[in-house]
Amino acid sequence: MKWQIALGTLSVVATVIVLAIVAAGEPRRMAGFTTSYQARQVETGALIFENSCRPCHGAQGEGIEGVAPALNAADLFNGNRLRAIGFAGTVQDYVRATISSGRPVPSSGTNYPQRMPTWSQRFGGPLRDDQIDSLVAYVMNWEERALQGGAEVTQAPPGEVVGTDITVPLPAGNADQGKALTEGNLGCVGCHILGATGPAWLPSGDTPGMGDRAATRFGQADYTGHAATPEQYLLESIVLTNAYVVEGFGPDLMPANYGQRLTPQDAADLVAYLLSLR
Amino acid sequence: MALFRVHIPILDEVKSKGLKPALRDKADDLITRVTAGLDIADVRGVLRDDPPGRPNPRLKPHAEGFWLHMKPTYYHNLVDGLYPTFRLGWLSVYAFAFEIITGVFLMIYYTPSPLIAYENMLDILSNVPFGRLMRDMHKLGAEVMVIVVALHMLRTFITGSYKFPRQFTWATGVILLGVTLFLSFSGYLLPWDQLSLWAVTIGASMAEAAPPEIVGRNLNLIVRGAPEFGAGGLLRFYLLHIIALPLAGILALGVHYYKVIIHGHSLPPGVENVGEDTARKVPMDTRTYFMPTILTRELWYVSGLTFLLVAYSAFIFHAPLEPHADPLVTPLHITSPWYFLWLQGMLKLGDKVLWGVILPTAIIGLLVSLPYVEVGPSRRYGDRRIGLSAGIVSVIAFAVLSYMGTPYYAVPTSPDQEAVASLLPQTQPGPLRLAPWGQLVLGSYEAADWQQAPTPAMRELLHTFDEELTRVETADGQDVEGIMVVEDWQTDLKKVTIRVVWTDAATNQPHEFSQTAFLHRNSDYGQGE
Repeated sequence: MKWQIALGTLSVVATVIVLAIVAAGEPRRMAGFTTSYQARQVETGALIFENSCRPCHGAQGEGIEGVAPALNAADLFNGNRLRAIGFAGTVQDYVRATISSGRPVPSSGTNYPQRMPTWSQRFGGPLRDDQIDSLVAYVMNWEERALQGGAEVTQAPPGEVVGTDITVPLPAGNADQGKALTEGNLGCVGCHILGATGPAWLPSGDTPGMGDRAATRFGQADYTGHAATPEQYLLESIVLTNAYVVEGFGPDLMPANYGQRLTPQDAADLVAYLLSLR
Repeated sequence: MALFRVHIPILDEVKSKGLKPALRDKADDLITRVTAGLDIADVRGVLRDDPPGRPNPRLKPHAEGFWLHMKPTYYHNLVDGLYPTFRLGWLSVYAFAFEIITGVFLMIYYTPSPLIAYENMLDILSNVPFGRLMRDMHKLGAEVMVIVVALHMLRTFITGSYKFPRQFTWATGVILLGVTLFLSFSGYLLPWDQLSLWAVTIGASMAEAAPPEIVGRNLNLIVRGAPEFGAGGLLRFYLLHIIALPLAGILALGVHYYKVIIHGHSLPPGVENVGEDTARKVPMDTRTYFMPTILTRELWYVSGLTFLLVAYSAFIFHAPLEPHADPLVTPLHITSPWYFLWLQGMLKLGDKVLWGVILPTAIIGLLVSLPYVEVGPSRRYGDRRIGLSAGIVSVIAFAVLSYMGTPYYAVPTSPDQEAVASLLPQTQPGPLRLAPWGQLVLGSYEAADWQQAPTPAMRELLHTFDEELTRVETADGQDVEGIMVVEDWQTDLKKVTIRVVWTDAATNQPHEFSQTAFLHRNSDYGQGE
């Protein structure tokens, strides 16, 4: 029985020693967890950005001209953008507020006709608070590089651009290349994601693919554009966006600058891809 | 005339006896009150294991105190040692108390709302001193409690202690086993991480299967508070966890304890004649008194186990915390808690109603009614060959079914996803997230050329990947290629894409499956959370 008392007492003493060791390490452990959790938020935010933000703001947050502004940009982090609209809070507040509640009205003097959707569930969007937090952490993590110059902004392609003349002869198009373009930095899928099956130009339910739609649309009575062939109709929709606005949509929603951003080859590829969708 | 008079008796005693004797008498009195009957000399005698005086003063606390009235004053010599009880019942009670103490600590920092529960977990881990230790101990204690209670039941079965006159004690014990399992299970949901949500969803889907359909549907609504887990379900599980189940446990425990005192601890099988139960009539010469022998042993068990639980939680075991619960994303390879894996295994065998509802109910019914149905009078091992064999078969079946509940058995998945999940599993950090960040060198690598990778960590990752792919290749006879791309993405952030590319032999179409992970320099998944 003596050894039980001895071992029991020893256990109590040992437990107290363990607790003391834990106590000594707690400040460091708590700080370590905070650091690592913030890092994990950036990781999670990056994944959400990839799925939800990339189509409009670009893979590296470099923005897409006419679609959505750059986030990986010095003027966001040095406060110029905030001052321009008279926002009094911090950059982080600004980013959180914009992601959460969106932008019902485009900022004046900017070239972004699309409104930013609301993303927080609190404002009718799809993301939970913790996801918004992660996304903010990810955007804020651009600060260092953005202030050093940021990602390369998409430039108009060097050399020839397709322009806005829809009768210009186009080279032979490659549908696969065109499909890749729609998913790339042109920003198409940022907005044209209305169909249940994916991008809006795919066939969905009773609606045929964009190729079939283009074939009949320019013959309709209410058609206001100048296209004489399906190819011309599609090119017109891309580069002269207000020539004819499909019923149910408003004017000026689609950026008007694609004529200056696409090479003739790009335009031909896009048209070839869209025509292939029956 | 004074309004009131202050009378301090100790001052009178100091005056009449002198300071030292007065204080000594006072201390003696205090100790006698606290121990409900033992003065300092008696306590000293207990600690030194001196023979008790006559009448034995050590019986007094059993008669006069609340806590010790729940303990027998003496045991039979034959039940004092490790065998036959292994003190598993005592340890179960201890685990329950341990869970209450750590649980109350955690309750202070917890709000049962999906909006904030997960944030509370992060707070407990990042901002509450001893927060992680308490959480780890609570989780570890829960696992230990399930094990100890289950072993306690197994022991009672093996020694035949459930037989006459202890049938009802056994029945309350089955209730306590159920309470233990559901306490642990209901606690699973509270952190509101992916593991919580999906492990509990698997368990709760059993309720939905109860026939007929209208019962199942409403049962499901009652359990989850809505068609799916959300604010309602979390609150219900929280209230079950902190009020309903502990209360039921305490009540059943009271009855269980009382029955143990009434009937005495059953002696080892074989020392009594068949059909005899002499536990209540312990002859003078075979008594081991609670004080000091049993008390010392029980306290030694408790202090030893406390040390193990504290040290193990402090240095080795850390309760997992997965990403925030997401009802839209089902992780690959999710399982129910390990003590319900046998149920998950049974569900894979076929009909949900038969295997998930009828059979488990039958098992519970069988357990409760066992002592009333199995009325063979002998507790001797030699006379219970059929019963003990059935017990052994049950334990083996339980183990096999539990194995079948794991993802290793009959889970239809696609090999490409399996290969990617070998590096980037969805229910734990996994090798890629645990790999040293600095060793992930930017570039594009093929799994087959793992030997050429620039760093040891990358070689290991690609080797694992390659082995997984080889398994797929030999199984399907297809040419499969694995690619890992590491890109610089942001300050301290790398993007790693794992891609599996193969050509479908039948259609000659190329296929691809890829998954992306972003890895931050400081994310440090090695902490265990």
